Amino acid sequence: MKRFVYINDDEASNELCCDNRISNRKYTLWNFLPKNLWEQFSRFMNQYFLLIACLQLWSLITPVNPASTWGPLIFIFAVSASKEAWDDYHRYLSDKKANEKEVWIVKQGIKKHIQAQDIQVGNIVWLRENDEVPCDLVLLGTSDPQGVCYVETAALDGETDLKTRIIPSACVGIDLELLHKMKGVIECPIPDKDIRRFDANMRLFPPFIDNDVCSLTIKNTLLQSCYLRNTEWACGVSVYTGNQTKLGMSRGIAEPKLTAMDAMIDKLTGAIFVFQIVVVMVLGIAGNVWKDTEARKQWYVQYPEEAPWYELLVIPLRFELLCSIMIPISIKVSLDLVKGLYAKFIEWDVEMIDQETGTASYAANTAISEDLGQVEYILTDKTGTLTDNKMIFRRCCIGGIFYGNENGDALKDAQLLNAITSGSTDVIRFLTVMAICNTVIPVQSKAGDIVYKAQSQDEDALVIAAAKLHMVFVGKNANLLDIRFNGLTIRYEVLEILEFTSDRKRMSVVVKDCQSGKIILLSKGADESILPYACAGQQTRTIAEAVDHYAQLGLRTLCLAWRELEEDEYQEWSVKFKEASSVLVDREWRIAEVCQRLEHDLYILGVTAIEDRLQDGVPETIETLRKAGINFWMLTGDKQNTAIQIALSCNFISPEPKGQLLLIDGKTEDDVSRSLERVLLTMRITASEPKDVAFVIDGWALEIALKHHRKDFVDLAILSRTAICCRVTPSQKAQLVEILKSCDYRTLAIGDGGNDVRMIQQADIGVGISGREGLQAARAADYSIGRFRFLKRLILVHGRYSYNRTAFLSQYSFYKSLLICFIQIFFSFISGVSGTSLFNSVSLMAYNVFYTSIPVLVSVIDKDLSEASVMQHPQILFYCQAGRRLLYL
Amino acid sequence: MSPTASTSTVGGGGSAEPSGVKKTSKRPKYSKFTQQELPACKPILTPSWVILTFLVAGVVFIPLGVICLFASQGVVEIVDRYDTDCVPASSRDNKVAYIQSEGDKICNRTITVTKTMKNPVYVYYQLENFYQNHRRYVKSRNDAQLKSPREERDVKTCAPEDNVGGEPIVPCGLVAWSLFNDTYRFSRNSQQLPVNKKGISWKSDRDNKFGKNVFPKNFQAGAPIGGGTLDPKKPLSEQEDLIVWMRTAALPTFRKLYGKIETDLHAGDTITVMLQNNYNTYSFNGEKKLVLSTTSWLGGRNDFLGIAYLTVGSICLFLAVTFAVLYLVKPRQLGDPSYLSWNRSAGG
Repeated sequence: MKRFVYINDDEASNELCCDNRISNRKYTLWNFLPKNLWEQFSRFMNQYFLLIACLQLWSLITPVNPASTWGPLIFIFAVSASKEAWDDYHRYLSDKKANEKEVWIVKQGIKKHIQAQDIQVGNIVWLRENDEVPCDLVLLGTSDPQGVCYVETAALDGETDLKTRIIPSACVGIDLELLHKMKGVIECPIPDKDIRRFDANMRLFPPFIDNDVCSLTIKNTLLQSCYLRNTEWACGVSVYTGNQTKLGMSRGIAEPKLTAMDAMIDKLTGAIFVFQIVVVMVLGIAGNVWKDTEARKQWYVQYPEEAPWYELLVIPLRFELLCSIMIPISIKVSLDLVKGLYAKFIEWDVEMIDQETGTASYAANTAISEDLGQVEYILTDKTGTLTDNKMIFRRCCIGGIFYGNENGDALKDAQLLNAITSGSTDVIRFLTVMAICNTVIPVQSKAGDIVYKAQSQDEDALVIAAAKLHMVFVGKNANLLDIRFNGLTIRYEVLEILEFTSDRKRMSVVVKDCQSGKIILLSKGADESILPYACAGQQTRTIAEAVDHYAQLGLRTLCLAWRELEEDEYQEWSVKFKEASSVLVDREWRIAEVCQRLEHDLYILGVTAIEDRLQDGVPETIETLRKAGINFWMLTGDKQNTAIQIALSCNFISPEPKGQLLLIDGKTEDDVSRSLERVLLTMRITASEPKDVAFVIDGWALEIALKHHRKDFVDLAILSRTAICCRVTPSQKAQLVEILKSCDYRTLAIGDGGNDVRMIQQADIGVGISGREGLQAARAADYSIGRFRFLKRLILVHGRYSYNRTAFLSQYSFYKSLLICFIQIFFSFISGVSGTSLFNSVSLMAYNVFYTSIPVLVSVIDKDLSEASVMQHPQILFYCQAGRRLLYL
Repeated sequence: MSPTASTSTVGGGGSAEPSGVKKTSKRPKYSKFTQQELPACKPILTPSWVILTFLVAGVVFIPLGVICLFASQGVVEIVDRYDTDCVPASSRDNKVAYIQSEGDKICNRTITVTKTMKNPVYVYYQLENFYQNHRRYVKSRNDAQLKSPREERDVKTCAPEDNVGGEPIVPCGLVAWSLFNDTYRFSRNSQQLPVNKKGISWKSDRDNKFGKNVFPKNFQAGAPIGGGTLDPKKPLSEQEDLIVWMRTAALPTFRKLYGKIETDLHAGDTITVMLQNNYNTYSFNGEKKLVLSTTSWLGGRNDFLGIAYLTVGSICLFLAVTFAVLYLVKPRQLGDPSYLSWNRSAGG
């Protein structure tokens, strides 16, 4: 399915789709009551209470005053309805604000000021600096002569760096005046929610250029809710409006997560309901028999001879009402109340404030605190979660010479500084790659310093290090890069950027040296995706050794490479690249294939090693939580050696001989299968030994294992307490969570970056670290904390207390209602099985509310053990985890 | 992929703001409540505490039980079942027909006092297998009507004893309709023993539940006559037999106060009871008993409390002794972590 957007043509575009009215509202004024009631009554418990309340209106069978059920029922409904209404009203207000914002658009060649909600698909929208983008636009022109503009996408993906957006090639050089009169057609996919992909084509109508199809990517778009920065003005044609924008499509009410405890309570409620039905049937039959044999003789009761048709049902229904209090109506209210308080306790906790940034913990999901106490598996990201994600360039190896090995800091290594001053070619090339092979944008601050806006922390570290080594990346002007080296300014023109993808694991730029006119390919990437493409003559052994050496120190490594291209070769390839960039289907894959054709015969310059320090308290936290019976899996996109080193240094796995690492690898199905079987066998043998056995698997093998040997892998997952999965993609992370969940384990996923979002959403509990990689993970998560070490407190203190308190409260709720119900049942045997209530309405209500429900809420501040003793004996958490299997709630 | 569901709602907008302003306000306030540090006391059940508690409970409960039992034993109670005996031998095959027949059904009973009974001696009638707690029965009354003459016509809940020929019955309902109507007259050595029937009902009932200006109307005027009749000239608040009867019993075996004999009865006294056997309990095999009883500070004769105290007290004492012996023979250190479950079972 495709959508055709006609630029600046009202008639052709009108029938297409909605206007730009944003609506996040769930209800309107008219449908609020029915829709909200319908939603509330889709829960079994509510239906049950309504049925009971309705039956009570029939005075022949009701044992008590109907008000004693209607009162609480209406109260509960009113509370949740007004909560919904309040939320919805705020959504309405924020929508209204966005909808009524004034924007400049061009309609039929005239510039007009209209409200944002009146934008139509095909309108040309004008934006100024720091404006918010009102709908999804395809960029047509900017104030920049090269057609570049910068946007901040924080509201969309949480990344705070500036991203470059560029006008499509077809629009280059169009005059400002002509932009008003532009006509054309954009062929774009139907609206979806993928904010990283926009595979479309554009064709301008004459008199603008020929009818050449121009491909569009996400780089040519301005998406709704982004901000235009560092650009005087920009204009674009709206392609998706209203709720059909990328942002609008990715919205949606998240499925509410149900805790193990909730599921248990639901099950118990079901069981009690069945029990109640049995009791009602037995008593109903007994009542009818007694009535026919005994009660007829009791003259003072005056049973009529003639009975209406429903006579047989009257006594069972009376018992149904009498026993209806078996399922406590108060449990829902009290649980909602205390759960809200648990969440508040987490937010209030001063010991979980990140002192560095002053951010407190935040519980976005207030309903799942008990689950924290029942966690069995923690799946953690590495970078930014276990580590600080504060990348610092530490060492490097250039042309086989190690720098920074002595003092641990290459920036202060005299040997390297000497090499730079003496102008060693390799070293200078190396620094050049460090400085320009990236997507960093230098911004000149008012004080005159240069601040780098980088998407990845690694690139940031490299550029800063290069600057300290006198290779300063001073400015980026569209395609022109300025580098200052020892006082000289060198200018490069960027011809192409072969972007980083998690599959390719490397990125390259093709630049032209403006002075010599040479075309150069600069690449950087993971060793296994660079070294195989080294040129035939080069010995890569020293490089590989260097990579190993650095990895063992727990450093992140990148290989830098370089190749001079012939003009013809570049031109020929460039055509193919453009072609691949304009296909609509499988574009990513096609581009990767074309990139491959250029990235070969590389001259490997060397290796950089970047340090990513462990966060404070990580080893202690992991050790304590492992003692508490929680299993850890590390899922990282990083390479195996680095992952293992980090794992060792944070108590994740024990070194030999206490621990054992089993490797699952292989490139083919057979290899992986054999490897998997071997590991499984070893696992089974060592299961009885007190040994820490962990398995390590990489993304490739994981892919095969999940595809062909899912069952074996699941067995392995059940057996192993520790696993390290490296080189895994975001979707694989989510898949692993799903596997553990399918084995009925309670999982907690913790991460900090956009690549962890899917895993966080998939897991029973998602915890985000509000770290440096933006807020994306923290926003998708149920809980966000400032540091990894707070996890210990979150689980052992808050999770455990919440679990115990909820367990107590729900047990108590069932207990007290069963208690009073059994009194009623026993009384019925001495009251002629006629369904008399021993208690009157007021007493019953007082019992349910004042005597039993309100006083017991105090248990919310009860602590069974002190925090210190829980921390000292984390094993106590076993009891909470086991709660799922035993019927001890 | 979706950057959370609520991106564009209030929460999303908030977090997109520059963080500088928010940080300080987000910082939680410190208080003992928010940090869950409220003072609390949690007694640790050390062996000595447990033993001591049981010991104290045993020592307190056993004497209490003995006192209760003595009090209960001090109450003199005479029970006389008369339902069968008061039917003439000739009518015993069809007691129901006898009780429903016309005419006086006078019956004389002799009771010998075994122990001296100090005044006041309470006279009760006891019914068994009579379900005053039957749902149809308890619900068949109207408290508003009993209280105020204005609510006279409010007889909806009283069916089937609500109207007679379109006129409301006061007091309406099955409970009033089935009023107990056996009467007793006592004499000792052919000397009349007066029975005081004043003040046998609850004062609150007389004052608040039964109106001073509500008079019986159309009572027992309809076709089946249930139980006793009422004097239409006396207001309901003075009809104490009715008030007692209308406070329905929770169990099918119950006693209700008939009156008080305000003289001492001596051991060996023979008391003649002339009773009118009017009330039909024969159709449902109910028993009727006449009870004479004194009271103590604990109420009537009831051994339950004393026995319960004695049982619990002796169990406590037994446990205290057992625990003390266990503690002396095989003591163990308190709070020894090696007894924790995960330390006991290897590996965990």
